[in-house]
Amino acid sequence: MYLVSIFLVLLHILRINTVMNKNLLLYALLVALLFPSCIRDEALNSECDIIDVDSEWLDSVGSAIIGKPIISNYTVVFVVKEGVDASLFTPRFILTKGAKIMKDSISYNGESGVVQHYTTYSEDGKWSKRYDVYYNASTIISKDKVFDFEHYALDNTGRYNVWFEVDEYGTQRNIWASGNAGYAFTGQGDTAADFPTAANENGVSGSCVKLTTSDTGIFGQLAGMPIAAGNIFLGEFNSGSAMKEPLRATRFGVQMVPAKPLYIKGYYKYKSGEVFTDKSKKVVPEKRDTCAIYSVLFEVDPENPVPLNGENVTSSERIVLIAELKNHVESDEWVEFEIPYEYINNKQFDYDRVANNGYAITFVASSSKGGDFFEGAVGSTLYVDEVTIVWEDK
Amino acid sequence: MKKIFCTIILLIVVLSTFAQHEGGIANEEKNVFMQKQWRVRVFAGYSIGGTAPLPLPREIRGINGYNPGFGYRLGVAVQKLFNGSRWGVETGLYLENKGMTTYADTKNYHMEAWNSDGKVVGAFTGKVKTKVDNKYLTLPLLCTYDASVRWSFSAGAYFSYLLDGEFAGRAYDGYIRDQNPTGEKADVTRAYYSFGDDLRKFHWGLQAGCEYRFYNKVAASASLQWGMNSIFHSGFGSVTFDLYPIYATLGLTYLL
Repeated sequence: MYLVSIFLVLLHILRINTVMNKNLLLYALLVALLFPSCIRDEALNSECDIIDVDSEWLDSVGSAIIGKPIISNYTVVFVVKEGVDASLFTPRFILTKGAKIMKDSISYNGESGVVQHYTTYSEDGKWSKRYDVYYNASTIISKDKVFDFEHYALDNTGRYNVWFEVDEYGTQRNIWASGNAGYAFTGQGDTAADFPTAANENGVSGSCVKLTTSDTGIFGQLAGMPIAAGNIFLGEFNSGSAMKEPLRATRFGVQMVPAKPLYIKGYYKYKSGEVFTDKSKKVVPEKRDTCAIYSVLFEVDPENPVPLNGENVTSSERIVLIAELKNHVESDEWVEFEIPYEYINNKQFDYDRVANNGYAITFVASSSKGGDFFEGAVGSTLYVDEVTIVWEDK
Repeated sequence: MKKIFCTIILLIVVLSTFAQHEGGIANEEKNVFMQKQWRVRVFAGYSIGGTAPLPLPREIRGINGYNPGFGYRLGVAVQKLFNGSRWGVETGLYLENKGMTTYADTKNYHMEAWNSDGKVVGAFTGKVKTKVDNKYLTLPLLCTYDASVRWSFSAGAYFSYLLDGEFAGRAYDGYIRDQNPTGEKADVTRAYYSFGDDLRKFHWGLQAGCEYRFYNKVAASASLQWGMNSIFHSGFGSVTFDLYPIYATLGLTYLL
């Protein structure tokens, strides 16, 4: 409506010399009357997130819960002291303004884990979301663990694969992450197999993980991320920064170190894509894509662990040991690898730190080494299976 | 509809106040003009307005900026008066451009966009800049009325064909949630969009205007075009509400 008002005022200005000035006041009044009707009352909130856990409640349970809860879009994970019965916990959550929460049920996650199921409802009543609240015992990776990529499922929206491990108590641990949640925003990928990180049947034994450097379509390109390398790593993917600061979306590391790692071993199969492109999707004819397979052990504050991210995962001063595949082979057959950890930053492994939970470890595989910076060849494919971190037996 | 009605009433009020100021055009000229059965005029004008949803959807929380851009209308009009009457009919052809740039705040703005292999669906909360720049070839069908030697009025419909269209912009300083308000959340610093290919080719609306003849052959004109169908195809999901172009044009006409 205010456009009409502008029009009237302009019309008036044209004739201002001949029309009496008091009319101008009349039109100004009309403008004032019409203008505010444009913006309507704010709708009630449609979001229904668990934003935080009430700190008073956390204080009230004291040392039964270790560290800070990890809150993602569908889960809240508490780490509890061994022997604590978490099934009776009734945490107070901080929700989106106006949202409500209902506790649905409790289930058990292996021998040592409790899962409470909640549903949140948005203020406008149109949306709801199911949250799984995990209470996990603070277990570490058992020394004979083989990462065989047999445990996977579909994400909450049913579009792409997510991987987890099952610890010695039968508890599901969501320690694997990938960039699939970021790729989902581009609208590409009809089935889970089309995503850059996908489960694949043809493993060394059973299933393996298939990583493919993929085109992100017009939307990825507009966002300055023309390709997405397939990746899988021990840590978390924070889709919140996936578009803004993509290097910070990959949070590497889990605090599950049982001993000093000696070497990593496993199998891979790699074929690089035909056309290598840079950050702006310009072809770089002289370059050939390479894959990345590495593992990093780094120091953390046990109470307040800060993960590594895409900016510093191989360069942080906190890194103690690194094992990296240096000369990869392109092959249609599985290639066995065995890479020793090497010290960097003039550090030594500290056995007291292990006892105090002061180390974190990550394993990373990516179909394009420059994938963090959106450099690589669409079509580069890396299969990985049967990965084992071999620990010192002491 | 109430708003349209109010606007028309307002126009009539404004125009009638102008109409009282009838200066002297010599009698001979007056007769020549008034007795002319066929009038052919050319004109050029500047258009200002908006391509806007009506009413504004609740997802739009504020308009932070508006720039009308350079809107123009060039045209020729052919008017035929009924014998011995002040009434007539008019048609013609306009080459016109309707544009604007707006800056808006949104909350949970549902968006869908197709790309070659898939569809992006989400809810965006943040800032949106929109630039519209559409070029039309327009055919008006109007009734006219000569109120006096100086004043004439017209009203009717117009039919436009889109020659070239742009509807583009960027979403920034906000976040998008995948699929719907419960989906994964990602901060957005800047994302661009362009929906120029989804613009409707044929478009129509209502038009009303007036002319004030201050020389024998030269007149000042003002008109308002109110779009009656959305600028996008029906079923276009990226913009979920209908957008109507509403533009006012001020210009000069010359009687041939």
